[in-house]
Amino acid sequence: MTKVAIRGIAQRKLRAFVTVLAILLGVAFIAGSYVLTDTINRSFDDLFDEAYQGTDVAISSSTTGQSDGGDLPPFSERYVNVVRRVPGVNKAAGGIFSLGRFVDAQGEPLSNSFAPEFVSSVAPEPFETLTYTEGRPPRTAQEASIDESTADREDLGIGDTLRIAGQAGVKPYRIVGLQRLGNTSSGGSSTAQLTLPEAQAITDKRGELDGISVQAAPGVSPRVLRQRIDRVLPPRLVVETGTEAAARQAQDIKDDLSFFRVVLLVFGGVALLVGSFLIFNIFSITVAQRIREFGMLRTLGASRRQILGGTVLEALALGLLGAGLGVPAGIGFASALNAIFKSFGIDLPNTGTVIESRTIIVALVVGIFVTLASALVPAVRATRVSPMAALREAELPESRTRGRIFTAFAVLLFAIGIGMTCLGLFGGTDDANAAAGLVGGGAVATLFGVSMFSPRLVRPLASVCGWPLEKLRGLTGRLARENTVRKPGRTAVTAGALMIGLAVVVFVTTFAAGISASVGNAIDRNFQGDLVLQNTDGFSTISPGAGREAARTPGVQTVSSLSFAGGEVGAKDVRVSAVDPRSVADVLSLDWEQGSPETLSSLRNDQTVIDDAWAKNNDIDVGDRIPVRTPLERLVPYTVVGTVKDNADLLGNLVVTEEQLRREFGVRSPSLTFVKLEPGANADAVQDRIKEAVKQRYGTVDTLNQQELKDNQEEQINQLVAFFYVLLALAIVISLLGIVTTLALSIHERTRELGLLRAVGMSRRQVRTLVRYESVITALIGAILGTVLGVIFAALVSRPLADEGFELAYPVGTLIVLLLLAALAGVLAAIWPARRAAKLDVLEALAYE
Amino acid sequence: MDQIVTAHDLRRRFGEGDAAVDALDGVTVSFERGRFSAIMGPSGSGKSTLMHILAGLDRPTSGTVELDGVDITALDDGDLTKLRRDKLGFIFQFFNLIPVLTAEENIVLPLSIAGRKPDEEWVEQLIETVGLGDRRTHRPSELSGGQQQRVAVARALVSRPAVVFADEPTGNLDSTSSGEVLHLLRRSVDEFGQSVVMVTHDPEAASYADRLLILRDGQVVHDCSAGSAEEVIELMKSVA
Repeated sequence: MTKVAIRGIAQRKLRAFVTVLAILLGVAFIAGSYVLTDTINRSFDDLFDEAYQGTDVAISSSTTGQSDGGDLPPFSERYVNVVRRVPGVNKAAGGIFSLGRFVDAQGEPLSNSFAPEFVSSVAPEPFETLTYTEGRPPRTAQEASIDESTADREDLGIGDTLRIAGQAGVKPYRIVGLQRLGNTSSGGSSTAQLTLPEAQAITDKRGELDGISVQAAPGVSPRVLRQRIDRVLPPRLVVETGTEAAARQAQDIKDDLSFFRVVLLVFGGVALLVGSFLIFNIFSITVAQRIREFGMLRTLGASRRQILGGTVLEALALGLLGAGLGVPAGIGFASALNAIFKSFGIDLPNTGTVIESRTIIVALVVGIFVTLASALVPAVRATRVSPMAALREAELPESRTRGRIFTAFAVLLFAIGIGMTCLGLFGGTDDANAAAGLVGGGAVATLFGVSMFSPRLVRPLASVCGWPLEKLRGLTGRLARENTVRKPGRTAVTAGALMIGLAVVVFVTTFAAGISASVGNAIDRNFQGDLVLQNTDGFSTISPGAGREAARTPGVQTVSSLSFAGGEVGAKDVRVSAVDPRSVADVLSLDWEQGSPETLSSLRNDQTVIDDAWAKNNDIDVGDRIPVRTPLERLVPYTVVGTVKDNADLLGNLVVTEEQLRREFGVRSPSLTFVKLEPGANADAVQDRIKEAVKQRYGTVDTLNQQELKDNQEEQINQLVAFFYVLLALAIVISLLGIVTTLALSIHERTRELGLLRAVGMSRRQVRTLVRYESVITALIGAILGTVLGVIFAALVSRPLADEGFELAYPVGTLIVLLLLAALAGVLAAIWPARRAAKLDVLEALAYE
Repeated sequence: MDQIVTAHDLRRRFGEGDAAVDALDGVTVSFERGRFSAIMGPSGSGKSTLMHILAGLDRPTSGTVELDGVDITALDDGDLTKLRRDKLGFIFQFFNLIPVLTAEENIVLPLSIAGRKPDEEWVEQLIETVGLGDRRTHRPSELSGGQQQRVAVARALVSRPAVVFADEPTGNLDSTSSGEVLHLLRRSVDEFGQSVVMVTHDPEAASYADRLLILRDGQVVHDCSAGSAEEVIELMKSVA
């Protein structure tokens, strides 16, 4: 039987090839995701190790409430002297390491990438982490150095001008050196180095530092020194050994990345799931076409076990091959993913590809398992072939009772899937992972349920999809539709593969449209100002000077800012926003649950207004006092004086006064600055005036009106959606591969029929049309099912978010475009099978047996 | 007499070199309009090859075929397709119906492919003639072999082709059904003036024809008017 299995593979090359390819692609995605994230993790390890070389003890600001990154509040440089006096300290130096932005003469960012750009200060030996490859470190306030990869990308060299936009404004520097961080490649970020006083000035941190590096005296261990230093510094400063600091910072990034890895693996899983449909179909068709062969083997005395073994062995061999090839392909895939990220402006560090043995094991096991599992049902069906099948043309038996049980099972699975999803969404599970698992598992169960039930949907759906074709092209359309419903199971699985991919696409699309609409609505409702200033990257802070500049512009009535910070309430991170009570009423209109606009206008420094949903979840009422731990490690109590429905999640959990944020949280720069114009002012003219004034002096600040703000938000969401589309492309490609294969195999079965059609006068073009329509109808069936499922899931998942102001919007236009694209994909998938069908020689096709 | 198909010095060679076989070795023959001709011959005599070439399904290695005034050996695939659609009717041994279409839809298939409206009266007459009035909405799988072949006959006649080619039309039928199908072909010639060329190895079938052509080793060895089945059997014995 082994021989039969192996020869079988050799004979059915197309099927073997497609099976291997489907597994290969899925496995490559999984392996590639691991390789990429492992590589990035290792690179960050290397990067931080490098950065803390020569530093025995590192001092930085506490990260309380700062889980979502960003600049930490600086601290006074007088602590350097405090540290120097600690016994066992050989050397201590303060430094600046802050976000900045490199801009051109017009104030526009040099590169559009999301990669962070930093401003750092020159450090004395042994703390300097940068290696100069050309030139020298800056010595005067007018000099700067830049990392060589940025210099390369932006075509900058020694003697050129680099404009840096910091919190204090834009300033030009002469480049005097090129540097890099150790041996590692760019690290994905750019760094400009300035002298310490200049770095402090441009980042608006005069007299302040972001960190202190300490070298221990000979014989003093870093651990001991750390303890000694920790005793003399306030709690808002974190004291770590260099090794600890490197490990912690690398770990922070790894934690962020682990989410990213899960996202990638989910998309890899989708690709594999689609692949499994394809393999199931290929094996089913193969088994159906080999009935005679199986019958013959059975007459020769082959047992059911041997028949089963033969098919399973074939699957095993193909799975092994596909998975085996998938692992090395995964390494290539990792580079492809990296390139995709780059094209989306996310430059990730790479210090050498990392292939863990875990990657290889997981990829192999998953690949082989998926192949075997997909082939199992067809293989079992093969065992039901009776020896009589050898003697006559027979179809695989499909009894009615089995059909009924099967349908009941499909419906049950669908119900369980939806149930699990709802439980995950509405079950009140606090554990986000468990909830996500339930929703994900429910989604997969639902997909399986629908695809098992879908053979019954094929006929009505084919009628719908085929109707226009029939009206348009008569017989060809009619035949194409009839062909799709001939083997409803086969069509259903083929369409099911596309359904999965499309369901995810539609889910993402619909959900994103919902977010866009909700944000748009929130802007309409809350945003009373006429203009808003924000960072060009959409999330970083802007210089307070920009707001002052705007306030001076003629035609402006009020300028009021919104600032953000992190904090902790009861060991849980909270997001805190701050407003200026005197002017906030002019620019923001809130949806009050308890309180009124006056509550905010008269907000005192010891008071807070909180988000209604957060209040309810934490049983907080108006009048309660909430102690908030700030990044400065102070425990500040605030009295709740009102609650608002924060629909756009604009304000975070708590709102305090701007003064509080500055004093207790160490945040001095706003994220959004709203501008209200004088009545009758020419909005466009004032906007242009502010734009010009602000851009020139501060760079990286966009001046947007309400519509532009909405467009801007939408654009960011769309970029994320585009990224998901790219990741889903592979699953779609695999499902199209499924259409190609199924069509080719079906055509093979219908050779004689095609011969007849040709004999009675069907032209090659008509044959091609026939195949193409069949493909289009199949694709549309999958697309319709996928669209319906995707929309249902988007609607379900958005239910719990409705409280937070999420409004589902159905992107009807986009969905129609997606359907048209699916039809087009069907046309593409049909190209090769159609050509093959049209090429059939009439005589050979008609050849009697 | 008016010739509907004329073949001149047809040769058809399969394979190359030592393995080459001449399926047709200089066949010159013509068929009259409005008559029922049968081609017989032992296996390998070239009778099927001859029919395939006459019907434009295969090309001769040399020689010409003129069908209803057109030299079909010079046509490309597109023109041949049109020719098959407009001027030829086919009946095969395996009924070769489209399983997803009803009996009536199968009958009008050549017209549907051509995008032409069927002549309702003619279709009705055909369906009545082949005796499938009560079966018109049935699918092939719901019809007996004889009924299926009668559908195929009606399909071959529906476009009023210049000539109908039948390749072993009774090869897969029991004797009763065979009789019905042959009777139909006979009637189409007698009543509608149809020209029919039939390849068969069944002497009974050949006895329905007006004319009998016997091939052996790629050459016409006998050309005469067909007699009774017994006469045909005798003839075959003497010639083949």
